[in-house]
Amino acid sequence: MGTFIQLVVDGLATGSIYAALALAIVLVNQATGLINFAQGGMAVLSAYIAYVFVQLGLPLILAIIIAIVLSFLFGALVERFLIRRFERGDPDTAVVVTIGLLTLVTGICAVLWGYNNLGFPSLFPLTSVEILGAVVSVRSLATAVTIVVIMVVLQLLFLRTKLGLALRAVADNPASAAFSGLPVGRLLMVGWGLAATLGAIAGVLVAPQLTLTPGMLDTALVYALAAVILGGLTSPIGCVVAASAIGVLENLVAVYVPLIGHDLKIAVPFALIFVILIVRPQGLFGRKVVVRV
Amino acid sequence: MNAVAATARRPWVRIVFAAVVAVVLIVAPLALPAFANQTLVRIGVYAVAVLGLNIVMGYTGQVNLGQIFFVGLGAYVTAYGVNHGWNILLVFAAACAVAGVVGLLVALAAARLGGLAIAMVTIALPIVGVPLAKRLSEFTGGSQGISARFTDAPDWSGLDNDQWQFYIVLLVAAAAFLLARSLVRGKYGRAFAAVRENEAVAASMGISPYRTKVLAFTIASIFGGASGFLYLAAVQYTSPETLSFGHSISLLAAMVIGGAGSIAGSLLGGAYYVFVPQLTNAIDPNLTTISQGAILLAVLFLLPGGLVSLPRVVRRLARRTDAARGRSTGRSTAAPPAQTSEQNAPAHHPVPDSALDGHEQTERQDGP
Repeated sequence: MGTFIQLVVDGLATGSIYAALALAIVLVNQATGLINFAQGGMAVLSAYIAYVFVQLGLPLILAIIIAIVLSFLFGALVERFLIRRFERGDPDTAVVVTIGLLTLVTGICAVLWGYNNLGFPSLFPLTSVEILGAVVSVRSLATAVTIVVIMVVLQLLFLRTKLGLALRAVADNPASAAFSGLPVGRLLMVGWGLAATLGAIAGVLVAPQLTLTPGMLDTALVYALAAVILGGLTSPIGCVVAASAIGVLENLVAVYVPLIGHDLKIAVPFALIFVILIVRPQGLFGRKVVVRV
Repeated sequence: MNAVAATARRPWVRIVFAAVVAVVLIVAPLALPAFANQTLVRIGVYAVAVLGLNIVMGYTGQVNLGQIFFVGLGAYVTAYGVNHGWNILLVFAAACAVAGVVGLLVALAAARLGGLAIAMVTIALPIVGVPLAKRLSEFTGGSQGISARFTDAPDWSGLDNDQWQFYIVLLVAAAAFLLARSLVRGKYGRAFAAVRENEAVAASMGISPYRTKVLAFTIASIFGGASGFLYLAAVQYTSPETLSFGHSISLLAAMVIGGAGSIAGSLLGGAYYVFVPQLTNAIDPNLTTISQGAILLAVLFLLPGGLVSLPRVVRRLARRTDAARGRSTGRSTAAPPAQTSEQNAPAHHPVPDSALDGHEQTERQDGP
């Protein structure tokens, strides 16, 4: 039982990382209708930026805040100067652009910091506490709680502020938003910036565990995409639920199903996807989209 | 320049041209050094993989990030068959068939969602494939990989190994390119194009988008399997590293850079895949990834049709300057209509042509 609880909490922690990336992907998709395959790569860049400021002697929390601010700017600039040109064109081309961006960002990290694993300090103590007789690591708990808090803040931003209203208007209908005088371009930059911020937070939270490499989040990106498919592209809540479920499920399967084990646990969400795509193609929580000619 | 283009369109000119190319390809390996032959062989290997990717992505418009998985699958099946003493034709058929069946199963599930879902599902293939290949060590040799020699030149031929391999790859690759050419120019090619342009319109014309996507993906997987067979013929060794995520991205980049929706572009893509990493590795291995990203984005911005569209773009620019000069000197020679010299050009690009000029795309006042 103790192992079980430990596994569930660890799973929720990794699941919350996937959830943050998945939310970033949904955010971008809602605003611009494309899937940003570079979301993980940009998050890795953010973690490297935080690493640089830590190396310069700044306190970790300050380094992370600087990295988050820079990530926001980077995300906004990417939207303005790279993505905008392809936004209303062919979605496949835009996807290839984000793949090019992923390669470019990974390449930049590789040139600046090399392929060797770099240690990243943890924001949370590496001790454990006892809950219900199970030993649970503080880092896992704190990671999960941090991401939940950030999601609540994001939800408030979208539902309770004027900026959030404008962002939702642009996502819903860019043409009408433009007619009602909203600065659509700038709002899209804000949307991309927010997504990059979410990614940055996921990046710095997971970096101590995975150690920094240019391809650190390639696998996490795949999990996040799985969560997006399972939760449905139109449902942020669905993505968070799916990401947490994937995190917990893969942890349990890795330990309790020896045939799969730790090396093949990434196949779990995709086995799930295959079943669900056959039964419920719009995702668990998604709406069916009616395409008009 | 127009006269040249007109001559090039004559059927007999094309037949003679094709014959000359064929003769050159057959004679070349006898004259070239071994290293050159090996490079050409690798270009052939990856050109077939890129060609398959082009069928599903360039022609049908479904982003596929997992093509390298099928190349690796074909390579592993080939190694297994060769090491178990199967007939080589059977090995080839098995490499194509296994890749095709797996591709069919993946497509049956992935194609149920909209276009981008295929990209999101197929990105998992290499990421799942690497640990899977390590795990199934009795078939794959685990992390160590597996080697199989079956392309040593037989004694009667009097050829060196690299020349023999060249002819094997040439034979399979030429067949693959001819088959793909017929496919995309025929009934199925038109169905692919219809699905890419507009699924609702395709459905209204009685073309099932779902079936077409599944078909294109399956064919792409079969080409991937054939490419895996050739890979083993050329390299004689495969390991989980063969089907890594990075290679899958490179394959996609090669396809776009060579020219999406173009048969000749696939060959250019294969050449890009072999040459550019070789070049950047020689300078600094850390530069490989960044140069690939930069080249891919530069091509998307400046040359959305890929390298294969370069002559066309150059001609168009030349025409523009001609026309401008004509205006400025008061002569009345108008520029010839755009179609005349665009012989043999693929009629569609996955990239809107306006992106080439790309002023209007920056403003976003127009509704969806």
